[in-house]
Amino acid sequence: MAAAAGAAACGGSEPTPRAAVGDLVGAVPAPPHPALPIGAPVALGRDRDSTRWAPLRRAVVARARPSPDAPSVSALAARTPEGTTNLVLVLARARDARGGLWIRARLPSRRAATGWLPRAALGGYRVVHTRLVVDRGRLRMTLLRRGRAVLRAPIAIGRAGTPTPAGSFYVRDRLTRFAGRAYGPIAFGTSAQSATLTDWPAGGFVGIHGTDQPELIPGRVSHGCIRLRNVDILRLVRLLPVGTPLQIT
Amino acid sequence: MDDLRLEHLDRDGALAEAIAALHGHTRTDLLRGAVAGSAALLAVCAAPARAAARDRDVAILNFALTLEELQAAFYTEVERNKVLRGDLREQATVVGGHERAHVRAFREVLGSRAAKRPRFDFGGATEGSGAFRRTAVAFEDLAVAAYKGQAPRIRSREYLASALAIHSVEARHAAWIRRLAGKSPVTGPFDDALTRRETSRIVARTQFISTTSTTRRSPRFTG
Repeated sequence: MAAAAGAAACGGSEPTPRAAVGDLVGAVPAPPHPALPIGAPVALGRDRDSTRWAPLRRAVVARARPSPDAPSVSALAARTPEGTTNLVLVLARARDARGGLWIRARLPSRRAATGWLPRAALGGYRVVHTRLVVDRGRLRMTLLRRGRAVLRAPIAIGRAGTPTPAGSFYVRDRLTRFAGRAYGPIAFGTSAQSATLTDWPAGGFVGIHGTDQPELIPGRVSHGCIRLRNVDILRLVRLLPVGTPLQIT
Repeated sequence: MDDLRLEHLDRDGALAEAIAALHGHTRTDLLRGAVAGSAALLAVCAAPARAAARDRDVAILNFALTLEELQAAFYTEVERNKVLRGDLREQATVVGGHERAHVRAFREVLGSRAAKRPRFDFGGATEGSGAFRRTAVAFEDLAVAAYKGQAPRIRSREYLASALAIHSVEARHAAWIRRLAGKSPVTGPFDDALTRRETSRIVARTQFISTTSTTRRSPRFTG
């Protein structure tokens, strides 16, 4: 700048390049501060304690192996008996001899706990970090999120003639604002099916729901469903996403 | 934009909804233009006009958020599927981290006005390296063109500064994945923006955003 000022004082009519740059810099306002606080890249968290599920795009036959020629193990409808989108838990993936992609899935089926489905029959993957454990011996339910218990509640389960089935299942849908008080204000459908009520109209699926008889909880009083006090099912609905694995021990 | 072959996008119209919100605010522009000739009327309408500008900025930010959610979910899913190797895997990991950071920033600024996160269905696009590469090129080109189309419409200088900062990052992502796909990182001396009509046409062909049904039917469990 001093050199530029000196050149101007000596009678030069043309500004020097340095003087021009200096003037321009002075005339340009400072840039505005960005409003979005964009921080460091967000790394993908570890997948421990996570489960993937996928909705069914269409009715499909589950196979014993990842091949269209493998024996059928179960036929799945695109909708649950309640009319919601049917879904499966994603366990593994493999390609068949022709390069087709197959997904090994946990199924809502009495005949087979798992089976292979063509990837094209499934919608997008979803991820949950929750796990629901039903302890039939202690008549308690525990919901875990990322491995930590976030809700514990007493429950009622099936009586001796209609026991709640043990095994690995999952939460299939959530029903709200339905008519009737016997199921309480909220009900979850699961993939578990009663082993004794095989002729039940909608397939004998086990639900998790509230009740209009809270005095029976804890107890062994139901047809297989898992009943909670209404205050507990209302807590559960805020914490339990569809697709959560359900372990009944 | 010749790489945009997104044959499965936007099944439930979440993107279309975001775009419709932008269309809706165009009517506000027209109203403001009609009253611009009257100084007195303009003074009366100044406050609503500022509010309308704020609303339009929010709509644009939500549109950008939806695109960022789409990209973040795409890279997250392909990373979880563990189907990529080498340079492609590095690209997906790095870019996924950026897209998730963008989502977090938009959600932080928008707060309760942020659009609900859509559900995504990428079909086979995240199940193999070839499909991933093609889709990633299309995504990044789409994001660059979409930001370019909306940036001039942003009223807040602070939001515009943020949009430009993200836009150049998206352009770098596009160049990176184009190089990995064997395409020229630069398609020409001048990039076109994506207009709303062009965006709508792409959205109409897409099904990457999906939904699952709900019901009010009574339970049919064993009880």
